[in-house]
Amino acid sequence: MVTYIVRRLLYSIPVLFAASVLIFFSVTAVGDPLAALRQNPLFSKQTIHNIEVRNHLNDSLPTQYVYWLRSAVTDKFGSPLLQPGVKIWQDLERVIPHTLQLVFLAEILALLVGISIGVYSAIRQYSIFDYAATTFSFLGFAMPVFWLALMLQILFTNIFIKWHVRIFYTSGLSSPDPGGGIHFWIDRLQHLAIPAMTLMLLSIAQYSRFMRASMLEVVNSDYVRTARAKGLPERRVTLKHALRNALIPVVTVSALNFGALIGGAVITESIFQLDGMGPYFLGALFSRDAYVVMAWLMVTATAVVAFNLVADVLYGYIDPRIRFD
Amino acid sequence: MHRSHFRLVFGVLVAVASLIVAGAAGGASNKSTAGSMTFGAEQEPPCLNGFTGGCNNTWTSWTAGIALASPLIVKPDFTIKPYMGTAKVTSKKPFTVVVTLNKKAKWSDGKQVSADDLIFTWKTIVDPKFDIAGRSGWDSVSRATKVNAKAVKFVYTTPYAPYKVQFATSVLPKHALEGTDFNTVWDTNYNNKSGQTMASGPFKLQSYTKGQSLVMVRNNSFFGKRPTLDKVTFLFRTNTDTEIQAIRGGEVDAIYPQPQLQLAQLRSQSGLRVQTHAGTTIEHIDINTGAGNSNPLLGQAWFRQAIAYSLDRTGMIKQLYSTLNPGLPTLNNLTYVTAQKGLYVPHFAKYQISNKAKRLAKVAALMKAHNCTKGGDGIYSCGGEKASVRLGTTSGNKLRELAVEILQAQAKDAGIQFRADNQPSSLFFPRISTNKYDLALFAWVGTGDPAGQVDIYGCADDKTADNPNGYGGSNWKGYCKASVTNALKASDAALNPKTRINLVNKADAVMANDVPTIPLYQKPTYFVFKTKLKGLVDNPTLQGPTWNTEAWKAG
Repeated sequence: MVTYIVRRLLYSIPVLFAASVLIFFSVTAVGDPLAALRQNPLFSKQTIHNIEVRNHLNDSLPTQYVYWLRSAVTDKFGSPLLQPGVKIWQDLERVIPHTLQLVFLAEILALLVGISIGVYSAIRQYSIFDYAATTFSFLGFAMPVFWLALMLQILFTNIFIKWHVRIFYTSGLSSPDPGGGIHFWIDRLQHLAIPAMTLMLLSIAQYSRFMRASMLEVVNSDYVRTARAKGLPERRVTLKHALRNALIPVVTVSALNFGALIGGAVITESIFQLDGMGPYFLGALFSRDAYVVMAWLMVTATAVVAFNLVADVLYGYIDPRIRFD
Repeated sequence: MHRSHFRLVFGVLVAVASLIVAGAAGGASNKSTAGSMTFGAEQEPPCLNGFTGGCNNTWTSWTAGIALASPLIVKPDFTIKPYMGTAKVTSKKPFTVVVTLNKKAKWSDGKQVSADDLIFTWKTIVDPKFDIAGRSGWDSVSRATKVNAKAVKFVYTTPYAPYKVQFATSVLPKHALEGTDFNTVWDTNYNNKSGQTMASGPFKLQSYTKGQSLVMVRNNSFFGKRPTLDKVTFLFRTNTDTEIQAIRGGEVDAIYPQPQLQLAQLRSQSGLRVQTHAGTTIEHIDINTGAGNSNPLLGQAWFRQAIAYSLDRTGMIKQLYSTLNPGLPTLNNLTYVTAQKGLYVPHFAKYQISNKAKRLAKVAALMKAHNCTKGGDGIYSCGGEKASVRLGTTSGNKLRELAVEILQAQAKDAGIQFRADNQPSSLFFPRISTNKYDLALFAWVGTGDPAGQVDIYGCADDKTADNPNGYGGSNWKGYCKASVTNALKASDAALNPKTRINLVNKADAVMANDVPTIPLYQKPTYFVFKTKLKGLVDNPTLQGPTWNTEAWKAG
């Protein structure tokens, strides 16, 4: 197992390197990151020159890449182009936990609900519940995230206007004075609830469909029939024998989802003004700041690689027949 | 129900009930108390040192920047008045200005705001190793000498007419910043070397939670009237839809959003007040008269005049702002804005003909005089060149995209084709600044002062490697006329206000004939706040909505 993990981690190094080269050249080739400053007739030309020199903007792209690589390795990704006093790593340390809070809340709830719906739909195939769940999941797939987010914001705003009860906040991570301890976390939950609902809907739709399909395959298999023939209660057959095997596809999808969402649920975080990886990435992209974009990319790529590995390792626990060479 | 199911359902119900109870309580605590308010800031300062290029942002000065007062202040009527001091011209040769600070002005750590601070501010701004955003005016100062503990004499190399704009800049505390690296200091705080927060304005920075909020508390050392509010919390709400829901739902008390069609719904909501003015951001159409355009007709003044005549700008503004700001005026001057009484001369008004038949007749007359004929598609051709040009703007900006559609339809009626050429701003502006366009609809953020106009409309003195076209640094129109350049240059040195106004308007009159640019309108400002808040007055200049926070009161 350890050898397998180490080997996988070593494989990921060239992948990350190739991704960094590709993205660096793409981002830097898009345009002049100082274009906005140059448009301002009153902006100091001396300052533009200082920024160009400090960030090696007039060097060739390969040279610029080497400078980036050096700063990534020796200075934890360095500083943004225009803010030499700001440290990119400190910003990442701030936004990553915010994204993790949202993603874990949304994905864990989505897994619980999605798996439950999928299992129940499978064991009550073609029932009203099954049809309703199918309809709901297709709605979930089809609904644009930004639209759902706005509708939920409007709904909870209107609830506040009508009844003066603040169930959930429509934006931000915290109130101006959230207090400490349990008060802080209740306030945080009230802020994360609507974004989590928005993210959950698509994930629930996804997980419930995967779970239903996988469960249908398993409940009709020989070993499940044997378990029933042995006289085991249906609940035990479903939860202990069928569910465990049926979980493998969901584990794959959820691990990939977790990895991708670490990069930030860009739309959701931006609409709800959550200071996470998504808005951080968008800000960097709009300012064409290659150093910040690259730092975001490396963290996201590492998360994707890590969660893929986690999924592979989990297979072995769920299904003991799977062995790692 | 199975007992474990019951426990689960009960647990969920208790959790939801707790959230609602906590929420109701949270909602109450979030309302403005007698001495505080929350402001939804549409942008977050990239960092707090607004002097540097990387942090220089209007929202930096409108939020944390209120901690640092300036000798002069720009009032909502565009006049520049004394604030923490005065600035008086004491000699014209050499041009000399004496800045005197208010005797009561002191820093929040107890030290006086002094002449040394003023000299330190000048030295810091002109130091080439620092990434200062703008050095205009300061770089014309040859020496600064202390008159007394509160006054400094600035002697200039050349007369600098916009000196009042220059001294509407915050003063820096020498004792807190001397010896520091100004490029990296004050990114997240305004602390002195002992860790005390520095302020000379009505509020001082209490805390800054990056990505979330910035809290300003009353500065008891403020030289002016004691601020009424204890605290102003700026919550960053950079998405306009979110910002609107936040003020509707009482999560913030005030917002200052960009014009968006969704704002109309706030006008009808009780408990909210909307103040709107024509601001200093000038929406206009630049015309590429030289190399890089796709149609040589654009090099002809008569053709550019025909384009100007073909457009009903007032009609377009009505269509765009009928619900948001029905009274928004058409702009007819490239420098001064409509609120500047006595300065604003509407030279471009001659092109605004609201009667469609008369408008089309004017275009037809110009076309006929230049032997243009209409084709089967209703578009003129002149000397074998079709009157077809590209009109582009920044895609994603709904109001601008709509403006392009309206203008396309108006021009088509007059026999001129506008081919839409919109692109995201990241691609649009690099094209404009390299002269690869025909007509470009975008905005200049102005100040109401003509300083800098020569860079936009004038010819450059020298063709250099950095400026191969020989136009002003931001003149991407291929437009170069000596009379305009000379008048605008002279205006920057004209100390007599009347002479200065005349010079600027002289240049504007010439440009109204040459039409290198068509002014459209001033982007309106929107200040939305709860009616129970008092003292909030929109300042449509760059001074912004927080120019008078000391006068704000929570009802």
